[in-house]
Formats: sequence, C-alpha cells, structure tokens
Amino acid sequence: MRVSRKIKAICLLLVLALAAFPVMAQGGRENSAPSGPVEIKIATWTSNPDQIALLNSFVEEFAAKEGIEISAEFESIEFGEYNTRLSLELQGTEAPDVFWVLETSAPAFIQSGLLAELDAELAEYNPDDFFPKAMELWQKDGKTYAVPFSTSPFFILYNADLFAAAGIETPEELVAEGNWNWDTFREASKAIKDATGVWGYQTVDGGGYDVRILHNLCPIIRSYGGDAWTSDGEILINSPESVAAVQLFHDMVYDDGSVVPPGDQSNFFAGAAAMTAAQVSRVSNLAQADFAWGVAPMPSGPMGDVPVTGQAGIGAFSKGDNVEIAKKLVAYMTSESCVARMAGIWPPARNTVLQSPDFLTSQPLLTSDQMSAAVASSIETGRVLPSHVMYPQIEVESRIVWDRLWTPDADVQTVLDGVADVYAKYIK
Amino acid sequence: MRGKRSKLERGEALTGYLFILPQMLGFLILVLVPLVMIFMYSFESRNLLFGNMGFTGIDNYKTLIEDDLFFLTLRNTIVFSLGVVPLNLVLSLALALYLGANAAGAKVVRSVIFLPVITSGVAWAIVFTYLFQGGTAGPINYILSLVGIEGPNWLHEKGWAMFAVVISRVLKNLGMNVLIFMGAVLNLPQDVLEAGRIDGATKPRLFWSIKLPLLMPSILMVMIVTVIGSMRVFDTIKLMTDGGPEGSTMVLVYYIYHQAFRTFNIGYAAAVAVVLFVIVLILTIIQWSLRRRASFYED
Repeated sequence: MRVSRKIKAICLLLVLALAAFPVMAQGGRENSAPSGPVEIKIATWTSNPDQIALLNSFVEEFAAKEGIEISAEFESIEFGEYNTRLSLELQGTEAPDVFWVLETSAPAFIQSGLLAELDAELAEYNPDDFFPKAMELWQKDGKTYAVPFSTSPFFILYNADLFAAAGIETPEELVAEGNWNWDTFREASKAIKDATGVWGYQTVDGGGYDVRILHNLCPIIRSYGGDAWTSDGEILINSPESVAAVQLFHDMVYDDGSVVPPGDQSNFFAGAAAMTAAQVSRVSNLAQADFAWGVAPMPSGPMGDVPVTGQAGIGAFSKGDNVEIAKKLVAYMTSESCVARMAGIWPPARNTVLQSPDFLTSQPLLTSDQMSAAVASSIETGRVLPSHVMYPQIEVESRIVWDRLWTPDADVQTVLDGVADVYAKYIK
Repeated sequence: MRGKRSKLERGEALTGYLFILPQMLGFLILVLVPLVMIFMYSFESRNLLFGNMGFTGIDNYKTLIEDDLFFLTLRNTIVFSLGVVPLNLVLSLALALYLGANAAGAKVVRSVIFLPVITSGVAWAIVFTYLFQGGTAGPINYILSLVGIEGPNWLHEKGWAMFAVVISRVLKNLGMNVLIFMGAVLNLPQDVLEAGRIDGATKPRLFWSIKLPLLMPSILMVMIVTVIGSMRVFDTIKLMTDGGPEGSTMVLVYYIYHQAFRTFNIGYAAAVAVVLFVIVLILTIIQWSLRRRASFYED
C-alpha cells in the first residue's frame, strides 16, 4: 500500500532524526574518560593577553609541580556582566573550576556555598603572610573561601602635558608641598578645563555615575569622614561628611563643568581628560600614550589620607568536577612566588612581597618612587569598598536613586537620604 | 456528527501529524516546558546563587503588588509601546505608499530603509549611544548646536532617554514593516482604485476610503507583531541606558533580567515574567478579535 510505504519512510526518517538528536546535543563534547589532560576552566574579567599568559604560566608550573597534565581554558567576561554570566555558568554544565570574585559580591558568593573552603590547601604556602585586614572579606567563621590576588589602591593618573599647558603645578608637585587635597584637585581640574578646553577629570573607567559609583565617590567620602555603610551596619551615606564630599564632586561636574559628564565618552587614556582615578592594572594602557604622564596618591581630605583599595579574589568552584585540583591551583596561584610576579599588575596582599625591594620595580611603567607613593604606602592602610551579602539588590535599587544626583539642580542631601533609605532596607 | 474515518483518511492524518512532529517536539521542549517551569518557579523562592529555597505559594505575586519598581516598569513599557507602535506604523505605511508608487529614488530608499534590519542590534545600539552623547560630544547635539540649539543629555536625562530609545528602536525595525506594507500596497486591486479615480476621488479620499480599508488586515497584523516586539525590547535598553536614568527606561523584560541575573532572584523574576505573558496574551486576543471587526474585506 502506498500510504503505509510513505508512513514507513517517514517513520524511518523520524527515528534517524531522533537518534541523531542526542549525538548532536552533546555538541561534540570529548569523552570525559579520566585519561588525557585535566580540563580546568578559569573565569576572569581581564582580556589582556599578557595578563592571561601570566596566569597560564602559573597553571603550567602547577601542573609540572603536581606531575599532572592540565589543559587550561581562560574565559574573559566583560566586567559589567561578570556576576551575571558567572552565576549563570555556575548553575550549568559549563561552570568554571576557578574564578575571580568581585569584592562587592564576595559575601553573597561565600554564603551561597559556591566557593570551596581553601584552608587546607593554603597551609602549604604560608597563609599567615597575608595581611589579616586584606583577608577579612574572603573569610567566614574562620574559614577561607577565596584569596585576594589583588589589593589595589586607587590613585590619580594625570596628563602632565595638559598641566603644563594650563601652567599649573602637577599633582606630584602638590604632594611634595603637602598641598594635594580635594580642594587643590578641584582647582586643578577647573584650571585645566578653563585653560585648555579639555576635561579636567574622568571618573574611574568612565563608570563613576553608574557601575562604578562607589569606586568613584568612596575615596572622597571617606577622606571627608563619611562612608556608604560600616561593617556593623551603620549607614553613613547621608551623614554631613558624606554629603559635603558628594557635594564637592557634584559641584565639579555641574558648577565647574570640569569633569567628563554622564553620557560623554571622553577618555583619559586617549588624552581627552587631564586626570583619572585608576589602579595599577590600568597603567599598561599608557604604554603607547603620546603624552607625558604622572602618578599621585588620591587627594587627602579633612580626615587626612584615607586610601581606598579595590580587591579581587580568586576561588574554586565547590561543585566542580575537579574541585580538589582547583583548590590546590588557587592556593598555588596565590603563593608568594606567583604573587610576586603578579605584583606589578595586581598589588599583593602578602607582606613578604610588599616588603620586598623587587615590588617597587615590579611595574615597568612606574618608577620606584611612584610605586612607593601611590601604591605601596596605601596597601596596608587602605580599606576595601563596602560589601554586603545583599549587595546585588542594594546596587540595583540604589542606582535608581543615585541617578537623581546627576542633574544640575539636584539636592545632594535629599538624594543621599533616598540612597540611605535603600541601604537601610537591606542592611540591618 | 462526523462518521468514522476510513483507513485511508486515518493514514493521511497520521502522515500529517508525523510531518508536524519535529516542529511540535521543538515547541514542547523549547517553549512549552520552559513556560511551565516559569509558572512553577513563580511560586518558589528560587535564587540563582542559593538554589531553590522552597515553595512559597503566591508570595512572589504579593511582593509584586507592593513593588513600586514593578509598576514603574509596567508604566515605562506602556509608554515605550505607545511611542514605538504608532510611530512605526505611520512611518512604515507612509514609506510603503511612497515606495509603492515608484516615486523618485524609491530603489535607493528601499535599500537604505532595510539596512538597519540586517544590522546587528548590538551594533545599532552602540552607534546610537555614540550619536546621542550629551554636551557637544555627540554628533546629534553638535548638529543642533550649529543651528543654535543646546541639545539635552539624551540618554542621561529623564524623559529624553525614553525618547532617544524609542527613536533608535523605530528606525531599527522600520524596514521590516515597510517591506510587509509594500507587499500589501503592490497587491491593492488596481481596478478598484481606478474606479475611484474615475469617480473623481481625490488622493486623500482614495487613501482613507479605499487604500486604508484594503490595507487593514496587514496593518493589524503588523500592529500585533510590533506591539509584541515592543513589549519584549531588551538589547536597546541594555546597551543604551541600562534602564536609567532613575529607572525611566526600565521596561518589563529588562526588569525581569535585572531580577533574575543581577539580583539572582529567579522566583520573583518568574512572577514578573508570568505577568508579562498574561499582558501580551490579552493584548494579542484583543487585537485578533479587532482584526475580524476592522478587516472589512477579509473573508
């Protein structure tokens, strides 16, 4: 019968298609038999090839030390999307074995149980060498869940040519005079804008109005004696000191018109702004700069020098297939030897590395004096940005209130009261 | 009452079902199962980092009713749709009528108008972010400054941000609708139009009394697709404004993304997604029922 032949043919095709489906769905995944190299996936937010190569060299050394073969895959996720992508991957089958952790999300990641405990593995590499203050964020109930591979203070990078064109003293000269503070910073920014037409200041990575709002404002706020919130849950974002600090920045943007405003893509590294706040890892962007540049610590405020450090940790996925190897790898990558070699990019939280004379020459683009003044002196005393287990919620909800600040006639106190209300909702 | 089907009929019916089986399997696995899971998640306290913390009944929906941000995003979604849909329909219909009349430069305009459709949405949004920069750094504000107008900080001022996003979105998708309308315009029965002209109908009269009613099925179909598309906008918002300033461009889909992947609150995001699903479903039903009434010439 014709129909039955047709049906048979279709059935055959269907069976073939269905049989092929699981094969295709595997996407050509290699046989996961234990033979062959151990596959380790490492998630970072850097895509700098030199930095990836350095990290890969650590993996190779570790593999040689352990007598195993490791095939490392580095996944670079854009900074703004890092937490989103990482948290999704950690729920799926393509989860990284080792991953960087943002300081602001450290408490949430630790509490979620996604980070493996590392104390046993770290014991081999002198864990007492880490500054206790630098480890606070990465520990819970006396156990370590990630290790800070970078404890990097914020400092000011400046375009010396623009300072010369405006005929004013450079930040380094002002530091030498003991006159480098937020008022002289503001005056310099305005003088350059007035004299040259170039913006005086660009916020950190241009994200100071949104994704990096606390990176931008916390150095000013803390040096004025304020803070976002304290570790014991006191909310200080609308204190008089915080308001005065934020008012200063707001006036720079809207009264002086000297700061790259929201929505403007002018970039310090392209010569379109005279100063920016940065960390050591950004200095490599100046390797090809066609202008003279210099480095100075963040300006001081009424409370003196109050350095702010940005931290980043590295941890092992607790539910990964290779969790034991991943834990050992994390411990090795944060050993004294590796930290010393990373120090020129990501400043160390290890005392021996920080005290070593080699540290001051570890960043080839910075002189020993610059490393000492802008980086080394701030690491021990610097404080990390505020964090909280509910930070993702705090960040999303407070952002809507922060946005009200970025209009010329914004009332700073009112806006910060609104931000404090959001903080209070989550921080108890 | 239908009689019992013959063996031949049953065989043919089976052939038909087998033909649609692959499509149905795809629908079941990739659409229906996730849809059902979304409904289930909406009754759970589920977190992307912490996993499922248990069945919570209608708690997520209770939270939703008390969530000011949800109602802000709902309002923003309506504003966005009210901006995009009429503008898109009017412009695309006008362009289709112009191009369908084989006016001067029609071929060039037809190609240019379709270019944004084949351009990546990400690239389009990045270019428009550059164009809409504040101060005089952005090309749009620079051109405005040449005629003495100080342009706003488009993407960072409440009000203007939504306007800029709507313009970007309308221009991006215009070409597809123009293409659909052009097909309809070129298929307009020439004898009816000719009869109208012989009877002395002016161009506006021809449009309002003959062309528009004949085009109504296409208009309604395009309207449904555009409304649903506007409800699902994501990339434009993500890249141009990130939902700001002050949440003024935070639309429902972007709010779902925020809740699910930025605050990791999958359960609550699922509840918002269910609400969006119901809204789109109701709108679609309304528009399909209108289609029957407004399509004078549809069989």
